[in-house]
Amino acid sequence: MRPVSSILFACLIVASPAWLVAASKEAEIISFEKHVRPILKAHCLECHGEGEETEGELDLRLRRFILKGGDSGAGFVAGKPEESPLYERTLEQEMPPGDTKLTEEELATIKKWIATGAQTLRPEPETIAKGVYLTEGERTFWSFQPIENPKVPTVKHSKRVRTPIDAFLLRKLEEKKMTFSPDADRRTLIRRVSFDLLGLPPSPKEVEQFVNDKDPKAYEKLIDRLLASPHYGERWGRHWLDVVGYADSEGFTIQDPVRKHSYKYRDYVIRSFNKDKPFDLFIQEQIAGDEMIKQPFKNLTPDQTEKLIATGYMRMVADGTASSGVDDGIARNQVMADAIQVVGSSLLGLTLSCSQCHNHRYDPIPQTDYYHLRAIFEPAYDWKHWKKPNQRLVSLYTDDDRKKAAEIEVEAKKVDAKRNARAKELIEEALVDQLEQHVPKELHKSLRDAYYTAAAKRTKEQTALLKKYPVILKISQGSLYLYDREINVKKSQLNAEYAKKTKQYIARAREAELKKIPAESQAAAKAAAIQVAAKRNDAQKKLLEKFPNVDVTIANLDKYDSKGAAELKQLKAKIAKLVPRAPQLTKLSDEAKAIRAKKPKEEFVRALFETPGVVPDTFFFSRGNHSSPEQKVEPAVLTITSLQGSYQIPINDEKLPTTGRRLAYARYLTSGKHPLVARVLVNRFWMLHFGKGIVATTGDFGLLGDRPSHPELLDWLATEFMNNGWSLKKLHRMMMTSTAYRQQLRTIPPQGDTDPDNRLLSGMSLHRLEAEVLRDSILKISGNLNTKQFGEAIPVTEDRVGQIVIGIENLSAGRPGAKIDMKGEEYRRSVYVQVRRSKPLAMLDMFDAPRMSPNCETRPSSTVAPQALLLMNNEFVIDQSLLFARRVKKEAGDDLEAQIAFAWEEAFAQKPDSQEIASAVEFLNDQTKILSAHPGAQSRLKKQKDLTPQMQALASFCQSLLSSNQFLYVD
Amino acid sequence: MDNNQHNTNLVSSRRHFLSTGAFSLAGVASACLMRDEGLLAAEKKTNKELRPELAQTSFDLKPKQPLYEPKARAMISLWMQGGPSHLDLFDPKPSLTKLDGKDYKGDIKYDNAAEASPKLFASPWKFKKHGECGTELSELLPYLGEVVDQITVIRSMHTGVNNHGQSIRALQNGRILGGRATVGSWLTYALGSETQDLPAYMALIDPGQLPVMGVENWSNGFLPSLYQGTVVRAQEPRILNLDPPPFLKGDPQLRALSYLKQLNQRHYERRKGYHDLEARIASYELAEHMQLAAKEAMNLQDESLATQKMYGMDKPETKEYGSRCLIARRLIERGVRFVQIFTPNQKWDHHGSIRTSLPAACKIVDQPSAALVADLAQRGLLDSTAVQWGGEMGRLPVIEKDRGPAAQGRDHNTYGFSWWVAGGGFKAGHVHGVTDEVGHKAVENVVNHYDYHLTLLHLFGLDANRLIFEQNGREQSLIDNQGGQIVKGILA
Repeated sequence: MRPVSSILFACLIVASPAWLVAASKEAEIISFEKHVRPILKAHCLECHGEGEETEGELDLRLRRFILKGGDSGAGFVAGKPEESPLYERTLEQEMPPGDTKLTEEELATIKKWIATGAQTLRPEPETIAKGVYLTEGERTFWSFQPIENPKVPTVKHSKRVRTPIDAFLLRKLEEKKMTFSPDADRRTLIRRVSFDLLGLPPSPKEVEQFVNDKDPKAYEKLIDRLLASPHYGERWGRHWLDVVGYADSEGFTIQDPVRKHSYKYRDYVIRSFNKDKPFDLFIQEQIAGDEMIKQPFKNLTPDQTEKLIATGYMRMVADGTASSGVDDGIARNQVMADAIQVVGSSLLGLTLSCSQCHNHRYDPIPQTDYYHLRAIFEPAYDWKHWKKPNQRLVSLYTDDDRKKAAEIEVEAKKVDAKRNARAKELIEEALVDQLEQHVPKELHKSLRDAYYTAAAKRTKEQTALLKKYPVILKISQGSLYLYDREINVKKSQLNAEYAKKTKQYIARAREAELKKIPAESQAAAKAAAIQVAAKRNDAQKKLLEKFPNVDVTIANLDKYDSKGAAELKQLKAKIAKLVPRAPQLTKLSDEAKAIRAKKPKEEFVRALFETPGVVPDTFFFSRGNHSSPEQKVEPAVLTITSLQGSYQIPINDEKLPTTGRRLAYARYLTSGKHPLVARVLVNRFWMLHFGKGIVATTGDFGLLGDRPSHPELLDWLATEFMNNGWSLKKLHRMMMTSTAYRQQLRTIPPQGDTDPDNRLLSGMSLHRLEAEVLRDSILKISGNLNTKQFGEAIPVTEDRVGQIVIGIENLSAGRPGAKIDMKGEEYRRSVYVQVRRSKPLAMLDMFDAPRMSPNCETRPSSTVAPQALLLMNNEFVIDQSLLFARRVKKEAGDDLEAQIAFAWEEAFAQKPDSQEIASAVEFLNDQTKILSAHPGAQSRLKKQKDLTPQMQALASFCQSLLSSNQFLYVD
Repeated sequence: MDNNQHNTNLVSSRRHFLSTGAFSLAGVASACLMRDEGLLAAEKKTNKELRPELAQTSFDLKPKQPLYEPKARAMISLWMQGGPSHLDLFDPKPSLTKLDGKDYKGDIKYDNAAEASPKLFASPWKFKKHGECGTELSELLPYLGEVVDQITVIRSMHTGVNNHGQSIRALQNGRILGGRATVGSWLTYALGSETQDLPAYMALIDPGQLPVMGVENWSNGFLPSLYQGTVVRAQEPRILNLDPPPFLKGDPQLRALSYLKQLNQRHYERRKGYHDLEARIASYELAEHMQLAAKEAMNLQDESLATQKMYGMDKPETKEYGSRCLIARRLIERGVRFVQIFTPNQKWDHHGSIRTSLPAACKIVDQPSAALVADLAQRGLLDSTAVQWGGEMGRLPVIEKDRGPAAQGRDHNTYGFSWWVAGGGFKAGHVHGVTDEVGHKAVENVVNHYDYHLTLLHLFGLDANRLIFEQNGREQSLIDNQGGQIVKGILA
């Protein structure tokens, strides 16, 4: 029940009277439609008119219903609020029940409405249907109207108009007696567009080229060049991954299993952006890619594979359905609810989850509509016949691959059999050995019998006997390694004994032989004999040639001391028999593993697909509770978005093996007729370029959402987008070549700022680098960015103190073991770093990278002290700053001013002015002096020769640049 | 005091709340959780009667009121990883002495069967009564004997999972699973911290190898990372991200910061009115402030020689551990909520050579641990500070490695083992619980890990069953529906 009630109340608490207040300014009279009904809709209608039951027979949907009243009489007496139950009972807080009561403002509105005669704006309808009734105001709400193609307005300062966008913006500005800021300089511009399109800073060379480009179309050429870069998709794909809620792990439970194959969807997104895949097709593939190709999914072409991968969009939300200890019903329905919510916020701009348990409190989305919509997705999820995460993997093995793999498996099985046979032998060996060591002879047979008798069949005596000898009882394949310890101890003891005796016997024999040669040669001959053969000098060699018998070795000991040699030989044989057992099995297992590794690599797609011929029913869940199913519901689109013409979703499309519901829905969404989809998309793209959407609430175009600052512009953009074949790159060009986009940073007036949120765009807004951009840019500037694209996620792990860093988990008893070399993979772009829900990369997390629950429509940008600490002291930042400094020295040489200029242009895309150079020189000199006398810096120099005080000062300078606001923010 | 500046675009976000506390060094939980926040708030409202104010709706480290008047306000855990032998330290067994060398007849679970034997093993050490309470302790713990009237020895601890990892988890996070929040995380989640200049929850690790389960020992699990234990390393940088590496410490960093300030101010002059830029300039000053606070807290030169001596800082074997115990006291004094001090990896895992290695381990911790209790008491801090001493298991009453006295040791035992607790509302001068005649299993007043956790949180004025966190619609708690009850017998 918990998630259900959670969602139920989630919508309540976002209640804000702000728009109600705004609405009251619009009209003189207090009306039912404009002022009172929204309050009732938010707090009362669920139980009084729109819900499944009408409490106290009181229906509050229309003025005349209220007047008629319910069980306790008329709802109000016009002109007399004090005698009106509608006012009195809410004032006394008898109603609504529960913790949320009407605010004073809301009460005042109701009071005033009754006092001023309880008026309506227009006559109320004669009859209305049961349940939710869409009022005129809702039907005419801006975002549900068809997208129009407004005329481009004319403006006074037409010289500043480069694209129609400018005309729309300028007209509003001129109304307020304002205008655009001047164009930004070229250095500012190239930095802005590079971060915007690639998420990386421009190189100084690129900056110079652009600054010196005399071509009047230099800026346009720059935009085209950046749009063609393979890094564009990494930047803009990441934006889409935010909205989709991309993750490389399942989440939901604390185990948070990894989604190994998720990355294919990430790569699909990046590739789609790079090739400017038309957005309508992009959406269709993501919602219904599986229905665009034929089942069964065998021997797929690259295009078919891509369409299947695209459905990963519907598989991104947290999913606990493979985890143990999870209530299946809750977990599965939660996945569906979250997936529908992602569709709602990414494409529709609606908070659909609010209508899962009851009629939407603010938007005209009845609960029944929610379940109609759910029915579109039902056949693919089919919660009663759920595909667990490993069951939704589609193998990309071809028939040929499969055949090859089967052949290899046969070989591997042979080694498996060998291993099993060897295991039996080794257990027997261990048994014999342990019996001999720990058990009196007379018990050997009975213990052996007891051991080999299956536990259930042992006699009482046998069990008791084994208990007395746990060393026998516990012998098993898995415990062999424990018994190996004994072997190893013994082996090292015997080895020591062997070494000692060898030395002793050789010395004894040599001494005897030395006595046989002339006394004056004895000392030299002894020294020569003791010397290792390879190290003997010529004189020693000669001497030994003369007295060969003195050269006693283990190889010829037998000749002098046959008894000793025999003893050693015996000892050696004993040692040879002491072979640890567990490694023998490991070796065979490894052998089998190595054979299996030769199979063609089996790739999988994590997909959403229907099982042909299966058409599960969808039920209306009372209160959103899956265990309270009521009437059967057919698939349909939302009523409010299809006012201009109904759109049929087939129950089971005859032409397709699957139901075709999602395919039909995807086509409807991208038909150009949908009032929301194109608006929601262009609004988001606008936000990403300008910092704020035309509708600030990018995921909520409903009544509680923001109203568009420039409604005509929004429609014009949406129309343009669709007319241009849903090409995002064309839209980028349109937005980025505008005067609006090329402006300087807005100058904030010291007093009386009339547009603090810069909604009118009288200048550019300031942006802080997003988490990934920050990390990637530091890597690029330090010269370390690995630009390799695509592929499996770069793993994250905990370091020794629990910080999440890039690395391969290498735990031993739960502790991080030795670092495994990442071979440069740790310097890949952030979009390729694993998004493990329970392990967000510290560096990204600190700078507001989203945690997906289920997705992220707009990222906040925080400013907190721990970020400062990270930039000051974090290992990554310090290491990269040093690498940056080494690069500076390599490229700019030893001259301080040259170094400063080089670093400055790398970090800021600007040339330092004389004052900046002077203060940087001062800093470098000071810091060099400080570091020369600093013990910590000195001991660092001892470890790394190139880290002179000058070098360390340069690294400190580089770190300062990378921590500065000029680097962290984009004008 | 609000230590941070915020600037969120668009709307106030959860991040805003998260970041009001200064310390979230491992990374702050984030951005797009507004909806969740809503869920939690709503949840709280609907269940007001059931769980008053225990499910937090916003996340910060500001001090918060518990449910009931608390006895304990802070805690120091002396974590003895490996499993100290209760039979040789806390739980005298005369009958074991009598049965020495005989075969044990009962059921027994060995961890290392290859070196197991059923032969009973009497403690080689003598026990004697101490203090007014007369609690018997081993001769290996002479210093603890001097403060025995301040402590309660629990002789009936039980987790019942016979390996290190699982038993560590049971005691540290309430379950044998990983990925869960540790006790310190729960306490800081519920109560915040009395100081915003220092991390609320600190893990003082040993200079040697990390204990088994590594970073899980101070994991925030599913709780926001704000509540993760911050590791204090034995060498510089003591706190990652807070302390600069040795080569930047002091003047170099100060000079760099003053240059950075110069850069930022020049940048700001041309962008007046952008508050985010101002806030970021200020955030560096706040960062410096936190550095100073931490440095001050760890500076033991402020302590008198007598105090340093009391903790054994004048002797090589106790110097290091004693310093950390003293630091723990200083942290608690400054308002830190939870401090855990770790011994090195498997220091107490005496499978063999127990006759030499157990006395060596005791030498390191006995004096400093006892000094901590005495010092807290003399400063009037013991009443409000819970102190806990123990590891994830005890040892078996039978011999492991039966190859002569020098080799002998004891295998794992999580069915009955001993801890001691002091202060913070725990009873003083008391013994709780009994193991069987050979000290293998707890038989009377058994204290399961969840019983202990309920009791501990009770002392902090909390109800561990009602202190919950919503994760994906599931209620997570320290107890996690394992039942259990408050151990009244150890309450003062």
